Amino acid sequence: MDIKEYISSGIIELYVMGLCSPEEEKELEALRPQYKELHEAILQYEKDMEEKMLQYATLPDAETDKQILQQLASLNTPVIQMRPVQSTGRKFNWMRSVAAAAVILLGISAYLNYTLYNKTKKQAALISNSTSSPLPAADYTVITNPAITPVALYGVGSHTICRCTMFWDKSTGKAYIMIHHLPRSSSSKDYQLWAEVDGKTVSVGIINDAIRGRFIEVTNVPNQSIAFKVTLEQAGGATQPTLAETYLEGNI
Amino acid sequence: MIFTFQFPKLEQKPYTETELVTALKSRDNHAYKHLYLHYRGALYNNILQLLPDREIAADVLQEVFLQIWKNIDKYDETKGRLFTWMLKLTRNMAINQTRVKNFKVHSKNEDISNYVSVIEERNSQQTGINHIGLRQQVHKLRPEYKDVIELSYFQGFKQEEIAEALKLPLGTVKTRLRNAIIELRKELK
Repeated sequence: MDIKEYISSGIIELYVMGLCSPEEEKELEALRPQYKELHEAILQYEKDMEEKMLQYATLPDAETDKQILQQLASLNTPVIQMRPVQSTGRKFNWMRSVAAAAVILLGISAYLNYTLYNKTKKQAALISNSTSSPLPAADYTVITNPAITPVALYGVGSHTICRCTMFWDKSTGKAYIMIHHLPRSSSSKDYQLWAEVDGKTVSVGIINDAIRGRFIEVTNVPNQSIAFKVTLEQAGGATQPTLAETYLEGNI
Repeated sequence: MIFTFQFPKLEQKPYTETELVTALKSRDNHAYKHLYLHYRGALYNNILQLLPDREIAADVLQEVFLQIWKNIDKYDETKGRLFTWMLKLTRNMAINQTRVKNFKVHSKNEDISNYVSVIEERNSQQTGINHIGLRQQVHKLRPEYKDVIELSYFQGFKQEEIAEALKLPLGTVKTRLRNAIIELRKELK
């Protein structure tokens, strides 16, 4: 092979730009360890391209910088802003299995509210007693768990400003959602989380968007999910997502 | 003589590429900050060439850095520089976003022929965009070169798809791509 001719054929540039066919790519990667000059020519082009593109920079606005830097820092640092546990008794309710039975729900909900109220009070007491760990244990476990898969949920359509991050623990099927920006739902509406599994959209549960600045737990997230979306539905949730009311979407 | 100059607070010494990659793989906070501040402009510019809406482009930029964070372990130093890898990731995500957008607008299945027909339309609109960059250089190329680069680099189509859409033999598409990119490299020097 005439390696000089090969080098000047344009193949290096296509390779670096990611425009080769898979066969061309394979061929180049096989030749690369054999020819030092080929290897060096690739490195040189990569350097040239990088230099050129750094010259062609356009900076995003300061707000974008702030947002992205904050997000990166929050991914890397196991510390989140904590708010005191609100003792309003409203906590995330797992209602999937009772979504259909609205009447029964009313009774259950009253009962749950009562028990959760007591539970939350106990938790609040526990947390205020422990001075060594300022974070609720559950939140701390979420963000320090190396097995967690973070999924960024982005605003869709007219809701581009909306943002949530989901921390998904595939091993337990639990996910923890942090709301960064999402309008508060009215009392007659609920945000519902959907997962895309095997080409189907299935309901995961309702997101209690009253909880802000803390993780919202959802359980039974299908292990094979490849994407998620959040829609605004009638209170109690729907069996099928109302796509026109999609607020957030995110892929794994 | 009074020195009024104050040293800026240095977050960290400048990194070598290897140091940076090691720090990124260990999810070092400073490394990500450095990475973002150093490369955001170049990557944002690339996104803007595909998605001129600054807000959408900023969203894609955020997603790009999130994906870098998530996938940094997949980056293989022996296959190329970090920037090359990030640029490919950025381009793929921006192309996906343009397809989502087009899909929403037309709400029907798009194939490459639709893209080919919008090339001309887009070319005439492109002059209004003042983000200097590769795309501007591409538009200085002669039409047969411009089209193959446009379809492959900016629209993400495979060589076979381009051959089919432009009704050209695959070999011709390959030749044109290679010639086009050699031209471009000359332009960029």
